[in-house]
Amino acid sequence: MDLQKVNVKFFVENGSGVPLDVFIHVFNSWIQASDGEYYDVADYSHVPAGPGIVLIAHEANTSIDETGNRRGLLYNRKAPLEGTNRERLLLVVERALDNCRRLEKESSLKGRLKFRGSEALLMINDRLLAPNTPETFQVVKPDLEKLARELYGGVDFTLEYQTDPRQRFAVRLRAGGEFEVEALLRNIEGVGTNPSCGSQV
Amino acid sequence: MDGSQTWKDKLADRVAPDLAREIDIFETQLELRKQGKIDERVFAETRLRRGVYGQRYDNGQRHDGTKVQKLKLPSAGLTKGPETVWDAPGMMRIKIPFGGLNPEQMEALADLSEEYADGISHITTRQDIQYHFVHIDDTPSLMRRLAAVGITTREACGNAVRNVTACPLAGVCRDEVFDVTPYAKACSRFLLGHPDTQDFGRKFKVAFSGCKAHPCGLVSMHDMGAIAKQEVVNGEERRGFEFYVGGGLGAVSYKAQLFDNFLPEEELLPVAQAISRVFARLGEKRNRARARIKFLVANLGIGEFRRLVLEERQRLMPDPRWSDYLSGVYEQCESPLKAAASLNGGERPEGFDAWYATNVYHQRQRGYAVATVTLPLGDVTAEQLRGLANIARRFVKETIRTTVEQNIMLRWVSEADLPKLYSTLREIGLGEPNAGTIVDVTACPGTDTCKLGIASSRGLAKELRTRLSEKSFELDSAVKDLRIKVSGCFNSCGQHHVADIGFYGISRNINGYTVPHFQVMLGGKLKDNAGAYGLPIGAVPSKRIPEVVMRVTDRYVRERQKTESFQDFVGRIGKKEIKAMLDDLTQVPAHDVAPSFYSDWGDPREFTLTGMGVGECAGEVVSQAQFTLAASERELFEAQIYFDSGDLRKAVVTAYGAMVQAAQALVKTQSYDVSNDQEVVLAEFRQRFCDTQLFYDKYAGGKFADYLFKAKDALQKQNGIEREVAFQRLQEAQLFIDAAHSCYNKLSQMKSAVQAGSAGAASAGEG
Repeated sequence: MDLQKVNVKFFVENGSGVPLDVFIHVFNSWIQASDGEYYDVADYSHVPAGPGIVLIAHEANTSIDETGNRRGLLYNRKAPLEGTNRERLLLVVERALDNCRRLEKESSLKGRLKFRGSEALLMINDRLLAPNTPETFQVVKPDLEKLARELYGGVDFTLEYQTDPRQRFAVRLRAGGEFEVEALLRNIEGVGTNPSCGSQV
Repeated sequence: MDGSQTWKDKLADRVAPDLAREIDIFETQLELRKQGKIDERVFAETRLRRGVYGQRYDNGQRHDGTKVQKLKLPSAGLTKGPETVWDAPGMMRIKIPFGGLNPEQMEALADLSEEYADGISHITTRQDIQYHFVHIDDTPSLMRRLAAVGITTREACGNAVRNVTACPLAGVCRDEVFDVTPYAKACSRFLLGHPDTQDFGRKFKVAFSGCKAHPCGLVSMHDMGAIAKQEVVNGEERRGFEFYVGGGLGAVSYKAQLFDNFLPEEELLPVAQAISRVFARLGEKRNRARARIKFLVANLGIGEFRRLVLEERQRLMPDPRWSDYLSGVYEQCESPLKAAASLNGGERPEGFDAWYATNVYHQRQRGYAVATVTLPLGDVTAEQLRGLANIARRFVKETIRTTVEQNIMLRWVSEADLPKLYSTLREIGLGEPNAGTIVDVTACPGTDTCKLGIASSRGLAKELRTRLSEKSFELDSAVKDLRIKVSGCFNSCGQHHVADIGFYGISRNINGYTVPHFQVMLGGKLKDNAGAYGLPIGAVPSKRIPEVVMRVTDRYVRERQKTESFQDFVGRIGKKEIKAMLDDLTQVPAHDVAPSFYSDWGDPREFTLTGMGVGECAGEVVSQAQFTLAASERELFEAQIYFDSGDLRKAVVTAYGAMVQAAQALVKTQSYDVSNDQEVVLAEFRQRFCDTQLFYDKYAGGKFADYLFKAKDALQKQNGIEREVAFQRLQEAQLFIDAAHSCYNKLSQMKSAVQAGSAGAASAGEG
């Protein structure tokens, strides 16, 4: 399967209490610091368990998402991905973690936001490409396992396939122990472009 | 999991052949445009007629609060319309005729919002659904997936018959004459893609209402509207409609005029067709600002318009579709899932009573109720839509409607199920009470996504919702029943004219800064099918609008007489008094004292960054011009007072004087010593601002200047004046003055840019 429209969400460890409006200001500052990469900020803070605050871009939307009543950073890749499936997954996870790190270091949040690295929700936002079936899971599973091994540096992990057929194809990734965003980034930085990193840990 | 499979392949046997063919054609047009084989203007209208709309910043530029950024979009010069970059996200409008939905459709809508938009389905003020941030390349697949569940986006935008709306209580209403649903459905199908509706100069909106008194159908503000009516004809009780034409909000609002006191049901579609033909033939095509049918009806007069339509009607070739559907209109359109049962004695979960008080309507069918699902700002998530589909299957089957107040209604709920239904709605975050109350503020998208938005209507609506929700338990019942509607500009997509308290976005230049404001509108009437339109009271800075609401409603509670309505209260104390009451709120603190006034609700960017640092000399001229602009507003207010007192001639003359004064203000920016002679001012204004297109709105063109010259001509011609006409003149005067403010802001910005350029050049020279 040619993986596209990959989404990943990292949940917050703490920071659920930070008012969503604050992220409008944060994302606006990201826009100001960018060079036309970001398109706009969409405010859905009035919608319970909704998309929260969405930073819109052509390549990917990044949001402080509250779907399922669990706050997290959702990286929603829209533009086509290149490379192998493993490289694509790594790229999306790396971009998401980059954004998590940036938020954790955001001075206006004063250290109130911290992400839980040990859990991630991976989705394919395309029901045609990846119908939510056990068959899809079997096809994608090897790539997800490789990703998890690299991301968690060999620590035990589980892949939990989300079976509701009405939902998009999604797999919850959980690792034993605690993982800082920074540590996860160290684990995967550079491996996506290194062919040897495809080997088992 | 075959990567080469497309939605076209997958849904081939689920999409009706005619719909499939239309979408194939659209997909081909997309390709041809990419190859440069279709002109961008032609393509723009083509996509609009498929519901594919532009969105803010789609020219590829956005002001980030400090500078204009060129957005990184890989379009390589390809456009989807004038100044509209191909890869810029757009809006997709989806027609939901009479607001009718079923669970399968809701699930499809949920999926599509996730995959192609930002996860939100937005219910509009005309029962449509909109997605935002959609890429045009995704639209054919999106359309096919909608078509597979029986939904079309065809003619959702563009110069076409838009979504046919109807009272969401139709069929279950206690007061309706009969259920208008089958008629709305038939009308929607008949006019969709009809050859006689393809050559309009502007859009055409149709509404149906089951009764005259209630607001649900909003017939008076539509291009064509039908109110259910029964009459005894030749001893037989017959169905028909009180039939209206030529209404509309927009920049200048018109109330629809009575076309026929009783149009028999079998004449509904042929007359609609005849009207379409007359509108296509005689309606304005070049000047978009005068192209709605309301202008044609006003110009011809309703008598002549009616004569032309009836003449056209006689010429039409009979069409079986005119009457085929009539054999089924007496049947009940919907059937309940559960048996009727009363609510008696059942356990009531926490919060139920408050929800029950505002969100439940008892159907005329005993033991059944309509439950309104309150959607904040009309937004619903994919998860919630799927949840609602589940709930519908569990409690009501397929009887769901969107509403013009941006909510969703579940009809045919067995009353005994209401507590369980409420608990289930709460589980998906949809148990909010206050439907149809002052808390349930409706708003158009405004500056969030609309290219025409001036101020943040959704931002203001959200703020008002928050503040009013906190107070909802202590609000007086008279206040609780009021409605607030907010538009981001004068075009009135938020329907501010028909609210008790309405607002539309404008801007004002304060000491060199552009400051977001809203025009306060009071006295509109939602009842009687949008029975009266409000008039502007004055411009108030955006950040002070919540205080306006609190102050006006507090005074209403304190001073209303017995059961006096809000409209009557406003009329009794008078706009002059209300304006005086709000006067201090019109003041804008200095930028360094209260910088928040200089950005809009929910948007941390400064509202404008240009126009700063105006030199002293220019400042003098600017001050004089602004002074004159302010004087023009005061004069217009006087005109409104005359209008209220019934002195229509004086109202119109004064309003015209106010417009001339605003024109003079602009002329003063170029010619300080301009005469006070009206003829001289008009000549100077025409030469300096109209001929040069300085007084020219990007979207409205020269419309506002035309109001001035038209007002002058009208004054010379008219002896007597009708109230409706006077009302329109006052509205036009307000719009002209608002446009003068905008023009003045533009001039200030241009001046600053020139000064900045000179300074830059000077410093570069020194370097």
